[in-house]
Amino acid sequence: MIAAILRAQAISMRMGKRRGAVLSALVAVLWYGMWAGVACAVFALAYAARLAALRVYAPLGFLGVFVYWQIAPVLTANLGSALDTRKLLAYPIAHGKLFLVDLLLRLTGAGEMVMVLGAGMLGILANPASGNGRDWPRAAIAALLFLCFNLLLASGMRSLLERLLSRRGVRELVVLGMLMLWVAPRLVMVSGYHPAWLGSGAAVLGAAIWPWGAAARASLPGGPAGLALLTLGCWMAVAGWFGRAQFERGLRFDAEAAQARPLEGGARREGFLERFYRLPGWIWRDPLAGMVEKELRSLARTPRFRTVFIMGFTFGLLVWLPMAMRPHHVGQGAIERNFLTIVSLYALTLLGQVSYWNCFGLDRSAARIYFVIPHPVGTALVAKNIASLVFIYAEVLLLTAIVAALRLLAGWGQVLETLLVVGICASYVMALGNVSSVYYPRPLKPERVSGGGASSRFQALIFLLYPVALLPVALAYLARYALASQAAFAAVLAMAAAIGAALYWVAMDSAVEAAGRRRETLIEELARGDGPVDSE
Amino acid sequence: MPPPAILVRALRKSYGAKAAVDGLDLEVPRGSFFGFLGPNGAGKSTTIRILTGLIPADSGSVEILGFRLPQEELEIKRRIGLVPDESLLFDRLTGLEFLEFVGRMYGLERPAAIERGRGLMDLFELPADRKIIAEYSKGMRKRVAMAASLIHHPELFLMDEPFEGVDAVGARLMKDILVDQVHRGATVFLTSHVLEVVERLCDRVAIIHAGRIVTSGTMEDLRADGQSLEDAFVRLVGAERPAERLSWL
Repeated sequence: MIAAILRAQAISMRMGKRRGAVLSALVAVLWYGMWAGVACAVFALAYAARLAALRVYAPLGFLGVFVYWQIAPVLTANLGSALDTRKLLAYPIAHGKLFLVDLLLRLTGAGEMVMVLGAGMLGILANPASGNGRDWPRAAIAALLFLCFNLLLASGMRSLLERLLSRRGVRELVVLGMLMLWVAPRLVMVSGYHPAWLGSGAAVLGAAIWPWGAAARASLPGGPAGLALLTLGCWMAVAGWFGRAQFERGLRFDAEAAQARPLEGGARREGFLERFYRLPGWIWRDPLAGMVEKELRSLARTPRFRTVFIMGFTFGLLVWLPMAMRPHHVGQGAIERNFLTIVSLYALTLLGQVSYWNCFGLDRSAARIYFVIPHPVGTALVAKNIASLVFIYAEVLLLTAIVAALRLLAGWGQVLETLLVVGICASYVMALGNVSSVYYPRPLKPERVSGGGASSRFQALIFLLYPVALLPVALAYLARYALASQAAFAAVLAMAAAIGAALYWVAMDSAVEAAGRRRETLIEELARGDGPVDSE
Repeated sequence: MPPPAILVRALRKSYGAKAAVDGLDLEVPRGSFFGFLGPNGAGKSTTIRILTGLIPADSGSVEILGFRLPQEELEIKRRIGLVPDESLLFDRLTGLEFLEFVGRMYGLERPAAIERGRGLMDLFELPADRKIIAEYSKGMRKRVAMAASLIHHPELFLMDEPFEGVDAVGARLMKDILVDQVHRGATVFLTSHVLEVVERLCDRVAIIHAGRIVTSGTMEDLRADGQSLEDAFVRLVGAERPAERLSWL
């Protein structure tokens, strides 16, 4: 039965991703190759370290594995594969078996940590100071228990997060809270605040009562291994109970009921939003005005987009704030001088996954309407770009207000410069995005706040495309730096704008032509469903 | 004499080695209520998708309301109302917002689109609250789709399984509206698996099987020898064989 479920998913994935197999494989090789390098380094360190050093650093190493395993998938929006239980609940399958499959799938999001953990353990066992592998059964049990503990906990965390992220009004706050938790320690450190208890933190964290401390003690010779293994076993049992309980709650969870609430708000808020949505009608004529209006309404009501939008002016700000706040940089650093521009460009890149890189993603199969109505599909692309730009500039305005409040704004000239630079960069990314939206369309679940965004093969290309798209503007800054001239900056920026406009025009032609030619494939890709396993 | 609502000659569309539509000839007179029938996988939806311009044909000619496809695609799109097999609805809009959007896409001024949208919401008994389409039931979604196909007063309706998933009251309402549209001179071209519905509503029928039209004519012609539409359908698509039994069943 378990094999049948996995086979069904394998077939679904094969059908959907055959064409991008080469690029996906290449990305996988690069990713796991990098982690193989890390694993080798961990092996070398564990092999060469003295026993005293191992006693201090092994718990921290295990803690690192734990933190990465539990938090990195959430932050990188890669929750790994998991069962889409709705598709399987109709069959007479025991929940225990479904849970087992879920756990097996959890491993798909943790391959790199398994590699690092295994390498670290092998390094400890091979280390002459730790007895040349005499205690391998004990170390193997510790590794297995630690692996199971992480696996069970990660499964429970995923179920819990999935449910929280499905609740209207809660999901955005949850994502924001998680991001703040990640960034806050860095911010505290940079701010220079060092509470007294922080000094003893390493010793507390390395204590044998924690699973990572217990795993380290069980792996090293000379300690109370039995007690450490027992502690680790207890942690695993707790994680098992948590994982299974969350899985069961996930099975009973009605996502639609959690999301089902009419769009209601105060009359004033509704009135304000309605006026905002009607703005395009003052500037453009139908059909463009109608399409932009539709985009503004749809995006503003899409949890996925809202979350990324909120991240744009919060997460981005917190990521860059520590660099601007470094005491020796205040008032003179390039980052501080261009802080607003940098965080605005960061917001522009963040919005890409839910807007310009995959324009039709949130419309899914309804994107067919653009081929049914009596207007060229290019109008829809322009409308989508305008709507994206409206939200991008909304981000810039919010960021301007926050940056001004933080007293990091270097005058109104910087605001004007940011507006120009963001606009120019937007012309490049949207030009490329229109083409990618036609060639690499992918349906996005609007109620999900993570995962997907672009097809895996295109996701790899995005990393290459961003530097290309930002290069012309970067050259303008280089000119200002090298020649110490505002005029040189303005001239290169103007040239970048002209090239961006030309590129946008050419790319739009190409995208429209390709959309007409590939309309069947495009519609088919956007209407594609999932297998029994949700791989987002 | 005006050209037929739909005139298709030698239409072909293949997916790999399989011909979904294989030399299809079809003529739908104006003002008719035309049923397009066929077993699963016969090529009905593919034909409708070609007629709406969603997919290109490999060969053959298509004329709709006297305009040639794909050369005069925009002229055709302005004059047709579409209710597809799958949803064409934007989930994050309310029903009224979607109807307004569609109306404006077909050239209505915003106030007129809103007014017609409100009228259609009332007519189709759809909730006029702030509920977004994602929260609608399947039947309600079909009603919105049907309402959207009416908002620009089209001359031709292309409908793929319009009554699927709609309750009896909703289906009756939709049928009455379509009959009214035919009485005012519009043409309805619909596919349905419910032969009773087709038998009651349609005055002309074509049956497609394996991508080819196996019969086409008036309902009276088809039932000439006293047989029901179902009998004729089963005979024409070659399904008159004894049901095979599985030993374990």
